[in-house]
Amino acid sequence: MITVTINGKQIKIEKAVTVLDAARIAGIKIPTLCHHDLLESFGGCRLCLVEVEKLPRLQTACTMYITDGMVVQTETERVVEARKAMLEFLLINHALDCPYCDKAGECDLQDLVMKYGPSSGRFAEGKRKHPESYDDPIIVRNMERCISCTRCVRMCDKVQGASAISMVNRTSKTFVEPFSGGRYNCEYCGNCLTVCPVGAIMSRLHKHTYRPWYIEKNVDTICSFCGVGCTVTAQVRGNSIIRVIPEIGKGVNKGLLCNRGRFGYDYINSGGRLTSPLIRKNGVLEAATWSEAIAYVAGRLQDVKDKSGGSAIAGIASARCTNEDNYVFQKFMRAAIGSNSIDSAAAFAFAPAQKYFESIFGQGVTANPISGIAKADGVFVIGGDPTSVNPVLGLQIRAAAQKKVPVITVGYTPGLRNFSTHSILPAPFAETSLLAAIVSELSRIKSPDVIKSAFGEIIRSIQPVSSEDAQNACGIPADEIRGCADALAGMTNPAIIIGRDIILRSDGHTNLLLLAALMQLINGRIYLASEQPNERGIIDMGCVPDSLPGGRPIAVDSFRKRYEEFIGSPIPSSQGLGLMEIIAAAHSGQVKALYVMGENIAFNVPDHSYVKEALEALDFLVLQDSFMTETARMADVVLPTLSWAEKEGSFTNLEGRMQHLQKVVDGQGIDDWSALAEISTLLGVEMHYKGVKDVMAEIARVSPLHKGITYEDMEGGQCMWPYKGEPLRHDLVLPGIDMPDVKSMLRKPGKDMVYIGVDKPLFHSGSLSRNSQALSSISSKPFARIGGGLAGRLSLADGDYVTISTSAGSLDMPVMLFADMPENLVLVPNNFEGAGVYKILAWKMNENIKTPAFDSIEASLKKIERITAEGSA
Amino acid sequence: MEKFLLRNTEHPNSADLDAYIKAGGYKALAKSFADKPSDVIDEIKKAGLRGRGGAGFPTGIKWSFAAADPKKPRYVVCNADEGEPGTFKDKPILEKNPHLLIEGMCISGYALEAEYGYIYLRGEYPHAKVILDGAIQQAYDKGFLGDDILGKGVRFHLVVHQGAGAYICGEETALIESLEGKRGQPRKRPPFPVNEGFLGKPTVVNNVETIANIPYIVQIGADKYSQIGNPDCPGPKLFSVSGHVKKPGVYELPMGTSLREIIYDHCGGITGDKALKAVIPGGITTPVLPADSIDCPMDFVNMPKHGSMLGSGAVMVFDETVDLVKVCRRAIRFLEHESCGKCTPCREGVGWLRSILDRVAGGSGRNGDIDLLLEVSKNIMGKTFCPLGDGAAGVVQSFVKHFRSEFEVHVNNAVSVAS
Amino acid sequence: MLSDKALNEIHLIKSKYQDSRSCLLPSLYVVQKENGWISPAAMETVGELLSVPDATVKGVATFYSMFRREAMGRHLIQLCTNVACMIMGAERLVDILRDKYGLQPNGTSADGRFSLVIMECIGACDAAPAMLVDADLHGNINENTIMATLDKYA
Ligand SMILES: Cc1cc2nc3c(=O)[nH]c(=O)nc-3n(C[C@H](O)[C@H](O)[C@H](O)COP(=O)(O)O)c2cc1C
Ligand code: SF4
Ligand code: FES
Repeated sequence: MITVTINGKQIKIEKAVTVLDAARIAGIKIPTLCHHDLLESFGGCRLCLVEVEKLPRLQTACTMYITDGMVVQTETERVVEARKAMLEFLLINHALDCPYCDKAGECDLQDLVMKYGPSSGRFAEGKRKHPESYDDPIIVRNMERCISCTRCVRMCDKVQGASAISMVNRTSKTFVEPFSGGRYNCEYCGNCLTVCPVGAIMSRLHKHTYRPWYIEKNVDTICSFCGVGCTVTAQVRGNSIIRVIPEIGKGVNKGLLCNRGRFGYDYINSGGRLTSPLIRKNGVLEAATWSEAIAYVAGRLQDVKDKSGGSAIAGIASARCTNEDNYVFQKFMRAAIGSNSIDSAAAFAFAPAQKYFESIFGQGVTANPISGIAKADGVFVIGGDPTSVNPVLGLQIRAAAQKKVPVITVGYTPGLRNFSTHSILPAPFAETSLLAAIVSELSRIKSPDVIKSAFGEIIRSIQPVSSEDAQNACGIPADEIRGCADALAGMTNPAIIIGRDIILRSDGHTNLLLLAALMQLINGRIYLASEQPNERGIIDMGCVPDSLPGGRPIAVDSFRKRYEEFIGSPIPSSQGLGLMEIIAAAHSGQVKALYVMGENIAFNVPDHSYVKEALEALDFLVLQDSFMTETARMADVVLPTLSWAEKEGSFTNLEGRMQHLQKVVDGQGIDDWSALAEISTLLGVEMHYKGVKDVMAEIARVSPLHKGITYEDMEGGQCMWPYKGEPLRHDLVLPGIDMPDVKSMLRKPGKDMVYIGVDKPLFHSGSLSRNSQALSSISSKPFARIGGGLAGRLSLADGDYVTISTSAGSLDMPVMLFADMPENLVLVPNNFEGAGVYKILAWKMNENIKTPAFDSIEASLKKIERITAEGSA
Repeated sequence: MEKFLLRNTEHPNSADLDAYIKAGGYKALAKSFADKPSDVIDEIKKAGLRGRGGAGFPTGIKWSFAAADPKKPRYVVCNADEGEPGTFKDKPILEKNPHLLIEGMCISGYALEAEYGYIYLRGEYPHAKVILDGAIQQAYDKGFLGDDILGKGVRFHLVVHQGAGAYICGEETALIESLEGKRGQPRKRPPFPVNEGFLGKPTVVNNVETIANIPYIVQIGADKYSQIGNPDCPGPKLFSVSGHVKKPGVYELPMGTSLREIIYDHCGGITGDKALKAVIPGGITTPVLPADSIDCPMDFVNMPKHGSMLGSGAVMVFDETVDLVKVCRRAIRFLEHESCGKCTPCREGVGWLRSILDRVAGGSGRNGDIDLLLEVSKNIMGKTFCPLGDGAAGVVQSFVKHFRSEFEVHVNNAVSVAS
Repeated sequence: MLSDKALNEIHLIKSKYQDSRSCLLPSLYVVQKENGWISPAAMETVGELLSVPDATVKGVATFYSMFRREAMGRHLIQLCTNVACMIMGAERLVDILRDKYGLQPNGTSADGRFSLVIMECIGACDAAPAMLVDADLHGNINENTIMATLDKYA
């Protein structure tokens, strides 16, 4: 226990903290400028000077640690004089354009000068001149206001890990710049904006659009872009969002955000929003009233049900919708329609992977706190770049790397380029052999009794694959594989981060098995990258073909019976169709009607022409969405729904944390769940929820996992899996092991062969972000990534247009060269209308985990000679 | 006094290994290898050697701190940044006696069980770079550096790392940052370099002259060494003397030699036998002394009692013709140029001092400017992150204190011209 | 953009240091020796070779006053004007360089022969005023000798 006296107040603190923190504990505020809670203390601004007894010099509270018996004074005359002097110094080269500056009102410098003076400066010479920089679409730099606290640079370097800006020059000529001196080449996280204490680094998107005192309310809510579920504060005036900002220390993100979370919210104000229900009449979508539309949908569904039975109707839910929406969706499908054919895009990777691991290790095995990654003593990343799929989770990996722990990346992960200690780039789609060799090496290194669980048996039965064999198969030198195994063997609490690329393979199930073995061998914690905000929630809510809310299998009679009792209606007992099966069944005419909630399947399901044929073959397609999407254009009825910020509910993030989504502004349209409830009632299964709270209350009764849960439980962000409920206990289901013969798996790509893969660019997640003007200003059009070898072979330079063709179709797109891309691969994103890679992504079904397999899709690239400046030839 | 640090330096090929060996070089290295590393540290402690970089910290104690830290590897860094204006005392060692430095580094490495050493050499000494690189190569060739030194299994590697024009990189934590490939800004402490220095590992930083004293101590023993000069801070000291003296240059004299003796006996007095006006005794950031204050023993203990500091022992002599306001302005201009920009009072305040001095020295001073200078200096003093900013405030304070009338003449002339 | 020789030199430097970032200053010297200055493109190359982000390289390169950020003349005059040289007449030499060669501080003569940089102390105070021309130190220069000294540099 350390006892310190600050301004006469004695406090006891357990460990040595800084004087600044000790004062805070004592309720005493010491002014700071260069200090920031997310950053290591710096000691540059000298605002926090205090008097410490027995020390002749004033000391900086932000850097000095307390010792027992220390006596500190924070506001003596001498201290106040010193602070005034520091402020006078800072104002020497400060623009003093406060009336014009957007920061006024929330400027730390202004506030401190108001408190300590000086009321006028004695500096008589000219100030440093530095024109404001508008070279960037998002960030305005005004270096005449910069006080050289370096918070932005330290944020960018040490926390964001982007190192896109630096202090240049020295002396009072120091200022902050990106490398180009103009436009940023960065991740646009905007975390530099959060930490700038003055108006030196500001958002251009918000320039002169607000004043801090314009804000009428601050609403804490959850970002809707990805499965991390960052806490954001929406600042509102009237019925519009002025800004979205993080709050330091709050939420999973602790005050950090990524570009999508910070800037992308403007999609809700996009002109493309649907305002009225639409019904297709004579082939054309026409506006209709709500009651007309609801009745029409109920009638058409009833017809199909009468004619072909409930199983001829399938439903596709969305992990962009809340738990409440999805709960009502599955109840509607099961009870009112009588179909278990319910699935979502989570079925691509997140859901099968979670199911797979849970089948081995039990429910909840993938529910691990994200904050654990930075604390891990090693990180293993496979299946895609977490820094673009789940940016704020990616920062945790970078934080681990800053602590010099081994970070192993398998596959192309540009966002971890400067952070990985082992960067392994196997030949395209040849990871299985690498994983098999790593597992074999590890089982050799770790004595067999490490493997105590029943799963240990399986590990032992995996036929060993030598590193040499793997070298032949994936092209990674055997020594490197062994080095990687050694590094893994040395870890005691590693994090394993798994992305979808490794799952969407014909050997995806084998990869999952090997990853399970790896996890067991190194005592790892698994994190599944999650592209949408509620992928975990959608499974919990039962929007899957084979299980009910709480993850209870339909096939188990007792679970089903209990569910039927709760909801007061019978439901079908057989397992329904999964996402890809639904598409296929629509194509074959077996499914006749499709109810889609918030998913753009015509764009987000691979092989667009096949999907289109399937949708055209339907008798009836209903869509709930906020935008006129590709799917909406094919629908028979479109019901406009509220979007993020306009509705209340809950999301469950990838860690299994339930968080409360708050309504921020009013919107046009209705809640997804409420439209469903009305239709359900017309179909004879009455649903009369007065509000979203009622839905939550029902979930809390029906789902054994969510027993008694309320929104209050979610405040503070500590509502973690298994909530207050009972996890499912079950016996180990041994996955059938069928280890492929690795030697036969070598895919030596022919000299001119090119494989196509899905790119996940940081700036666009695909569905909502394309309606954000802010994100479009950062990156307005898609491009395909290619490596230097391929570029050389085809004489391509940055920006050249190519036609990319596969057996499923072709796309035109410009290319960008990336030196560290794997050979023989072209990565194409799926995020702009008319240019999504899924259009041409042919696939095979992986029957084992019911996912589409995208491996070894051959593509050809042909350069388009452009004639005019405007368009492609 | 018999010269040690500058021994042999008059010989045209003194930098050559053979010449060095002929003069008794590398014997101390062999001698030190016969002792345990900790014994070498004890000997340095006993000798009472104090660092020659300016601060005068006891070298043996610094070493024992690093040796007590279990983290490995450890590093030895030689501070050859010699950036303090007026200082050129390390240059003769670097250019003419490089093997003395190499031998000293090697003994330091052995004592501290460090396998890597760096010489951080200022960029302004390109010639010294060539000489040092050559000497190091010779030392490698002859087995005084490498993986098995003198066949004793001792491992020590030495690299010359060139600075690039930043005075602040003479400050040891900024130097380490610079060595790590960063902007040379001082680090906060604790942690101290002896615990978390280069690459986060225990690191000893010592001045060239300090390191050059090591072989001497090993050779003659602590007892004999501690009898040279002032017993409180013993040993030979290099003084670099410049300005208005007849024989400027570097002098190796016992610690504690008086300033008067240096100027008048060793350097032959003032050029043209003019009157002495002022002396800066220890490099530009040490307080200036008026002509009547030069009867002071030049060592770490006595100089503060006489109103200045020993600093780097760089004596700058000004005769009666010198405009001290201009000297003060030039000194502050230098410090403004070299401020690393990290902390507010130095980054902004020193520039402000310079702009006031520009106007005073340039003939457009205003009433109140002298007090403003003192006020701004007071606001800087004691509040900066590292001693550079304090140094600037101290320079202005000492010039105004001793030569206020000269400032007043400037201001009054300006004011009268203006009115 | 860098010659093979320069690249080899950087690789040699890398073998001498325990971590690659420490090679930054020596590598920038290699670039400066080869090109006379450090261009943005060179910063990118060095950053790539040492795995240091380019903005970071820029921050470092611009901190040190001896790293040149513009192309220089064939010969670089680094003239000290710090106190010791100042009181020995260095400022007069600045005037002469301006009048006789058209050289401004931080400027280059019209014929591209010389560039002038005003230095802080270069550690030659006993031979004040002093200057470095390229890597050669010239001390005790004065109004009469400076032209003859510079004439040797074509
Ligand atoms: C602004 C500043 C500049 C310094 N410059 C030098 C220098 O050029 N050479 C040097 O040896 N020490 C210099 N020092 C002192 C070093 O920080 C450090 O104390 C010294 O290198 C330790 O070596 P020593 O114990 O052998 O003296 C400087 C200190 C400061 C604050
Ligand atoms: S006093 Fe401050 S600004 Fe000046 S050199 Fe030291 S740390 Fe840098
Ligand atoms: S907050 Fe302590 S120095 Fe800036």
